[in-house]
Amino acid sequence: MVATTPDVETAPPAERPARTWPWLVLGLFIVLLLGSAARWLEDVVPAAAKGTSLEKFAAAVEYPIYAIALGLIGNVIVYWAGLRERIADAVRTEFFIKTGLVLLGASINLNLIAKAAGPAILQALLLITSVFLIAWWLGGLLGLDEKLRALLSAAVSICGVSAAIAAAGAVRAKREQLAYAASLVIVFALPSIFLLPWLADLLGLSPAVAGAWIGGNIDTTAAVTAAGALAGEQTLQIATIVKATQNALIGVVAVALTAYFAFRVEKTEGAERPGLRQLWDRFPKFVLGFIAASAIGTWWVGTVSAAEAKSTIGVVNDLRTWFLILAFVSIGLQLRLGALREAGWRPVAVFGGAALANLAIGLGLAVLLFTGFTV
Amino acid sequence: MSDPTPRPTSPGPSVPRALRAALTEDWLATAVGLLLLAAVLTGVIPTGLVP
Repeated sequence: MVATTPDVETAPPAERPARTWPWLVLGLFIVLLLGSAARWLEDVVPAAAKGTSLEKFAAAVEYPIYAIALGLIGNVIVYWAGLRERIADAVRTEFFIKTGLVLLGASINLNLIAKAAGPAILQALLLITSVFLIAWWLGGLLGLDEKLRALLSAAVSICGVSAAIAAAGAVRAKREQLAYAASLVIVFALPSIFLLPWLADLLGLSPAVAGAWIGGNIDTTAAVTAAGALAGEQTLQIATIVKATQNALIGVVAVALTAYFAFRVEKTEGAERPGLRQLWDRFPKFVLGFIAASAIGTWWVGTVSAAEAKSTIGVVNDLRTWFLILAFVSIGLQLRLGALREAGWRPVAVFGGAALANLAIGLGLAVLLFTGFTV
Repeated sequence: MSDPTPRPTSPGPSVPRALRAALTEDWLATAVGLLLLAAVLTGVIPTGLVP
């Protein structure tokens, strides 16, 4: 149903509705309202279904599903109310998810991050390199524009929208290409949220292997968290560590793309060589927050009594769940399929082909590097 | 082969603006997350306050 709604953004800039503070407040209210409804449904539906044939099904449906579904319904409503573009500044998936992940860090022991860092870095290096090259090759085979090729390769191999933004800055892509890549990431990520935890269960993967597969495979960080949350707490922890490792490598890819486009594609006269400064600029700083929160949480748990630690970290986890719910609602609210309709099949084929390769190589690496790993 | 470059209908935000926003969001999310953690650990946000 969302697919049939034309984009408000098709209006030329002069006709585009203004985004002002009242609209921002209204947008935040809508996101919070939908998030509260998701939280409420998660409590009342299993209770209402108790003793009925739907009891098991209702118990299995968790907050990410309610939040994404309500976000999609909200998307249609705000479109028809003419509000979608006006409230866009309040729909901050990336901010909500990154804050949620910093809070998640507090419940992950720093030793676990240190223990998982080795295999996570190795997996990220192998997976990013192989999937990037496969997407790059497919893009060349199907004759995609060089910049779109770079955007899609970065998005499918690293971390979705964030990587597409970093790559777009590196190769000076057109804003239409960025909007297109971001839409494609979300369209592919949505089914993965449900498919991967189901497949991991079907294949009997351990929480660590399932987490490594989910974290290495699903492109956008919000969707990784949603899938991890559906699969279980231990799976979520490993998926987050693996995804955070991939996020940390955005800068390296952005710098490499900047150099490649400056010296090989556009052959810019006197172009400056990208340096460490650019690497730092592109580094996702929330990864530092995630590690800092883990260090603080680990210190706290070792300092206070077990009961107090459980109660305090429980409050942090409640806050984390709220931010994740707001991020999942925002995923639904942000989905725009209008851009994809006119794009043709080639970019979709490149992204889809690379995503399938990611699925297979990611599973192989997760089994190879995380079998026997205990959370 | 027809023009393979997509011409989407949705222009979206400009690339420099999106890049700046992403970098600002990174720091903001880190600050908000750590502040909330500090508020919980120091008891400013007590148990039972978050629904």
